[in-house]
Amino acid sequence: MENHRFRTTRRMILSRGLLAPFVALMLVSAILVYYFASYSRDQVETALVRIASDHRHLVDQFLDERASDLRFAAASCRMEDISNEAGLTELFRNLQAGSEAFFDLGVFDETGNHLEYVGPYDLAGKNYADTEWFKAVQQEGLYISDVFLGYRKIPHFIIAVRRHEGDRTWYLRATIDTLSFNGLVEGIRMGQTGEAYLVNRKGILQTTRRSGGQLMEPDPDFRTYVMDDEDVTSFSAGQRSEQRYLYATAPLGHVDWVLVVRQEVGDAYGSVTHAVVIAVAVILIGGAVAGFMAYLLASSVANTLALADMEKQQIKSQLIVAGKLAEVGEMSAGLAHEINNPLQVMQSELTMIGDMVADIESDGESADKEKLGLIKDSLDQFRIQIARCSRITKGLLDSVRKTEPSMKPLKMQDVLPEIISMVANRATVADVRIIEQLDRDLPPIMTDSSQLQQVFLNLLNNALYALKDRDSAEIHVKAFQENRSIVVSVEDNGCGIPRENMEKIFVPLFTTKPPGQGTGLGLSTTYGIVKAFGGNISVTSEPDVGTVFTVSLPLESPRVRTSTN
Amino acid sequence: MPSIHLLLVDDEERFLTTTRKLIEKRGVTTFIASNGVDALKVMGEHPIDVVVLDVKMPGMDGVEVLRHIKLKHPLIEVIMLTGHASAESAVEGLKLGAFDYVTKPYEVSRLMEKVEKAYAKKHAMEEKIRKAKIERIIGHPMAVFESDAEDE
Repeated sequence: MENHRFRTTRRMILSRGLLAPFVALMLVSAILVYYFASYSRDQVETALVRIASDHRHLVDQFLDERASDLRFAAASCRMEDISNEAGLTELFRNLQAGSEAFFDLGVFDETGNHLEYVGPYDLAGKNYADTEWFKAVQQEGLYISDVFLGYRKIPHFIIAVRRHEGDRTWYLRATIDTLSFNGLVEGIRMGQTGEAYLVNRKGILQTTRRSGGQLMEPDPDFRTYVMDDEDVTSFSAGQRSEQRYLYATAPLGHVDWVLVVRQEVGDAYGSVTHAVVIAVAVILIGGAVAGFMAYLLASSVANTLALADMEKQQIKSQLIVAGKLAEVGEMSAGLAHEINNPLQVMQSELTMIGDMVADIESDGESADKEKLGLIKDSLDQFRIQIARCSRITKGLLDSVRKTEPSMKPLKMQDVLPEIISMVANRATVADVRIIEQLDRDLPPIMTDSSQLQQVFLNLLNNALYALKDRDSAEIHVKAFQENRSIVVSVEDNGCGIPRENMEKIFVPLFTTKPPGQGTGLGLSTTYGIVKAFGGNISVTSEPDVGTVFTVSLPLESPRVRTSTN
Repeated sequence: MPSIHLLLVDDEERFLTTTRKLIEKRGVTTFIASNGVDALKVMGEHPIDVVVLDVKMPGMDGVEVLRHIKLKHPLIEVIMLTGHASAESAVEGLKLGAFDYVTKPYEVSRLMEKVEKAYAKKHAMEEKIRKAKIERIIGHPMAVFESDAEDE
């Protein structure tokens, strides 16, 4: 019951004390993480866009340069000059001097006949009129193909330019080795997963993708891309359900290719994740420490409260007991008084009968001596029993209402030895040691010596009774000052008081002694006297260990409660 | 010693009659009253020496009756009957001029001792007053008329 209440209190303090800061902390953390995450995302996106944009320029520039190289080469010579091996080879050398990316070179007339070729393959003499690239360059004047793997399995693409020379039109076609500009794209790295690659508008990879995807293979993610015709676009898209990427796409100027730069979200948010992990760790550790401290605090507070509560209960029960005692006292006083009147009548009648018996006896002969004797014997018994009743009622009245005390300043250290000496003989006979521990310099208190004597005689008698037939029986009588009171304790190591009797011991007529041996008025009288002196009496007892009665009497001269009607 | 005139006041009828018989046997003229009003009436009609007065009675209680007695008949001695020495205002009774108190239950003989003492005190007091009067009359013969007036 007590424990349960203690736990409830502690839980209440804990939950209320921890909940508010915890919620606030979580809110702050969540907000910080959110803003940090969106900031990081912005940063990553910006970086992706910048890289995409920069590298688009590089690739565009490369393509531009190669196209310009070719145009310039075409413009700088006539068809006759390069329709032979020597001329074309020279031109090819010049081009290669400008850029090693040039892989081969061919000249075509306007009908698509391959006039001359410089390069590793034997391509001269073929007609290309129906090929896609030839049609395109016929129309556009410039054609840049998608990447393909040549016979040597080296990624290539071709650039073809148209040349109007007088009324003739001819075409120059060069194959570009993409290794050199692949490096521009494939070399891009960001974090663990950041990469860049080129893909054409049909979704065919134009460069190798580091995270998987060979040249010329279709890009499995292509459908998820968001692309603009001109501008760099950033977005996030999922590849597989658990893996999400941040993307930036940049369409190239001259070819239908798109430069894709992407980074895994997890990687992009690496610092955020790191921060969150640290924050969570701090919150967990800090929370554990705070929780532990709060637990200790709550425990001690709950403990204090439980103690206070227990004290309150104790005081309450003491008050109830005191109230009950007062009530019982009043009642028994009234009862005693009411019984005294009929006792008085009986006493009078008895006296009269006694007189009459005496008359009959003195009358002489007619009386039956034997019967008269029996009657007198019976009358004596009446007298004895009336006297006994009278003692009880007197005791009851004494226990509640005191005769006018004659107050004198008395020192406990002087009074107690006298009282103890009164029971000393009986103690010796019963083999009980009485040990006095009285402070020698206690101040005097105003009290009535005969009533005080009654109080401590009662306590000593009870102690002696409790020590009957016990080994190493001892009574400790202590007197000391505590605050503004003189405290006297009478402690025995006797049989103790059973728990169920503890509340009743001060009740008038309550006794555990056999009938006729005790009136049950000793402790109630003691209680009445101590209360009348403005003092207090308390008892602690443990069965078979002993009992301590503690009487405290105030130093201040008490206003003695004198008798009232 | 002339016969004592005793008034017994108690609300217990049987107690009154029995005690009266017991006391009369001892040669004391006894009157009885079962409440304060009757008691005061009896005192007005008969020369009473000693009153034995129960403290606790319905209506006018013993202490109040005592007050009236001391007001009207200051020479009459009163013995309080009480269930308990202090509780039943015996002390207050003593302060108000009661001669003594007896706690119930008591033996008639014990009561009679006190009654006799009370009577002796009253007698001595009356004796003193008479002597004083005589001395006064001797000194101032005219005082006879004063004292007569006083007696009424």
